[in-house]
Amino acid sequence: MADAVCAGLAGKTPPRTWSRALLLTLPIALWSLFMAMRGLMQPERSLQIASGLTAALMVVLFYMMMKTSSTYRWRRWFFVALGVLFPIGFIHNVMVLRGSMGIPIEEMIAGRTPFCFLPIPLLILPAALTKTLVFPGSLLPGGGMAGAGMAAMAGLWLAITLVVGKGWCSYACFFGGIEEGMAALPKKAQWKKLDPRLRLVPWAVLLAMALLSLALFEPAYCLWLCPFKAVSEYVAARNTVGLVQNGIFVVLFGALVIVLPVLTKKRTQCTFLCPFGAFQSIFNKTSVFDIKIDRTVCSPCVLCQKSCPTMSLTDESIKKGETLMSCMKCGACVDACPKGAAVWHIRGTQVAVKPERARLMFLYAAWAMAAMFGGSIITQGLATILQRVI
Amino acid sequence: MGEAFLLGLASGPACVASCGPVVVPSLLAEGAGWRLNARYLSSFLGTRFLGYLLFAAIAWELGALVSPPPAVRTLMYGGIHVLLGVALLWYTWSIGRGCAHACAGSGLVNIGRVGKRGVSGAAVLGFLTGVSLCPPFVAAGLRAAQLGSIAAALLFFAVFFVATTLWFVPFVGMGCVRRNASIVFVARTAMVLVAMYYLLAGIAMLAGRRIYG
Amino acid sequence: MKWPSSKLGYTVAGMTVLAAVLVPFVLMGLFTKGFTKLGLHVDEMYSGGPTVRTIQEDGYTVTIHKAVYPHLLQTEKPFVQLDWKPVNALPQHVSDAVDVDGDGQPDVRVSFDVPKDPKTPLRADVDALNPRYQAMRNVGKRKFSELIVRVDDAILVRIPLTGR
Repeated sequence: MADAVCAGLAGKTPPRTWSRALLLTLPIALWSLFMAMRGLMQPERSLQIASGLTAALMVVLFYMMMKTSSTYRWRRWFFVALGVLFPIGFIHNVMVLRGSMGIPIEEMIAGRTPFCFLPIPLLILPAALTKTLVFPGSLLPGGGMAGAGMAAMAGLWLAITLVVGKGWCSYACFFGGIEEGMAALPKKAQWKKLDPRLRLVPWAVLLAMALLSLALFEPAYCLWLCPFKAVSEYVAARNTVGLVQNGIFVVLFGALVIVLPVLTKKRTQCTFLCPFGAFQSIFNKTSVFDIKIDRTVCSPCVLCQKSCPTMSLTDESIKKGETLMSCMKCGACVDACPKGAAVWHIRGTQVAVKPERARLMFLYAAWAMAAMFGGSIITQGLATILQRVI
Repeated sequence: MGEAFLLGLASGPACVASCGPVVVPSLLAEGAGWRLNARYLSSFLGTRFLGYLLFAAIAWELGALVSPPPAVRTLMYGGIHVLLGVALLWYTWSIGRGCAHACAGSGLVNIGRVGKRGVSGAAVLGFLTGVSLCPPFVAAGLRAAQLGSIAAALLFFAVFFVATTLWFVPFVGMGCVRRNASIVFVARTAMVLVAMYYLLAGIAMLAGRRIYG
Repeated sequence: MKWPSSKLGYTVAGMTVLAAVLVPFVLMGLFTKGFTKLGLHVDEMYSGGPTVRTIQEDGYTVTIHKAVYPHLLQTEKPFVQLDWKPVNALPQHVSDAVDVDGDGQPDVRVSFDVPKDPKTPLRADVDALNPRYQAMRNVGKRKFSELIVRVDDAILVRIPLTGR
């Protein structure tokens, strides 16, 4: 898959000259610098260096995307950095404040449980029916780990989703980079035959967890299934059931985030479990950007299908000339296609007519979000490491 | 009885939310068409009603309608949770064996037999949710216990039940959702997940450990 | 979703890029304010419920919250939360008879030690002077509806209701 993705074979948009690539990178360079300003003006040296490094990373990666006309492999560097550095920064903060990754009941009562985006779809039904948020956080900014508060995280999520839709899973999610990095390690997949019905499991998880969250009035996915508690925080076990819950997330993390991505070269947690990803798929129906297959050019060699990290291309969808709802707009299929049949596309326009324009417009929006949100997280993670060194 | 009706209307959303994890995936897993979904709901609600009345009658006879001792209630609750989990898993397996989504207009999925007649999964799930001592049920029980006779208590429960049932009627609309292999797979998988929760919760209660305390 | 024309598609795409620029300056703040204006509140099982009364004791206060009842299938019992504050003004051993329902009669007697080290686990005993409240012996922080914890500058005690 990696060879196919990175090859940049015939039929594709040719690489640009360095000057043209630089010109196209300029808006992103200005944006990244602006985003880094706050960090650059801080008195801590570690934060200044981290902000500068992050801005440089975002600019260089975007330049390479413009120069090579390839998206996936450069985006992947950012995404893996985000997935690795988020836990470093977060766990460090948690250890400094609490001395433990386990959330004690006092912190939950005080409303200081940090709110991540994963429980958002589970909170909708209880909130709509009873105006109650079934999460032990604070609505408004609070002290300590509450950070910006639940309202701010929800506001950020909605704003970014408006722009990139399910592209959140490729440009904003601070958990997915771990499995994407693991999937990149081997040259070839050991397990190639995967039951395509497993793609539907996230929808089942979403349905079950949303209904259980309403019935039990608690964030059921966070308590029972979320594997990323292994790299953030979890409810400190107060009883046997708490121990069982913690055991479940350790097993799921090991299997779906570490082992299976290596064996399959797929983002298995995203593809086979994540209910938030299923929820975000709905926004692919409203997003103006998508990826199409130009059937007049397609062979079909199904390299796009093999390269897709989330199994969002099937034989039927390729025949129809489109991806499934679960497409994360990572660009793997476009980069893998040797004929240039898989293309970026804007709804309403003709397929494969000026696809590079569609790609540019999407990447400006998505990379701006990545630099704003993911960039700040990368900065925090880097600063945490630099504090130890400087 | 007006009080029973109003209490039922007020408790309806809570009943729907409590039964939601069982009703919604199992409705989706059955065939499409509002008629079939109406039959499902009739079967589910019918045996749920039976469960209500049966519990009310037994508890009245035992003099325990007000509130069974906590230890007894936990054991009952735990046992019913385990049975609900098992029923959901059996139902999921039965759907896979049958051709519910492929055979338009077929009957409900059966998960057992009584004599020569099949017992639909909807009926089993309805009965188990009916005796599951959910909070609205307990509230109605407390009120019914203050009435003079078992007949009055049963009538109170019946009227209460009818009022809560009104909130389930919109679920017939789920029959308009187009069924295909993907929808049925999602529904069955969701049922397995819900069943896992009920099994774990039930075993924890039977083992003497409350879920979170 | 069918789009009528290329022009509309490009227009919306352009607006999306513009929206991306506006996210940190306008959109995020707008949506955040929108969420706060929805009138949502955190489940009282976590937050303890709104304050009802405050009783002045000798150098400290006891704040009484409104009783919290579980929703739907929540497994917690109904409870009432009492806060002793500030911690540094509390005696080494607290034993207060508290009138929870405001009828002039004490309903519970709550007793606990206040250790100097804030990390020492707290334990509480509650005598139920009113059968509406559940007595507790040597209770720690096992569940949301029955606990004693220190949160910032206050010691919180949650006493379950018996339902009588």
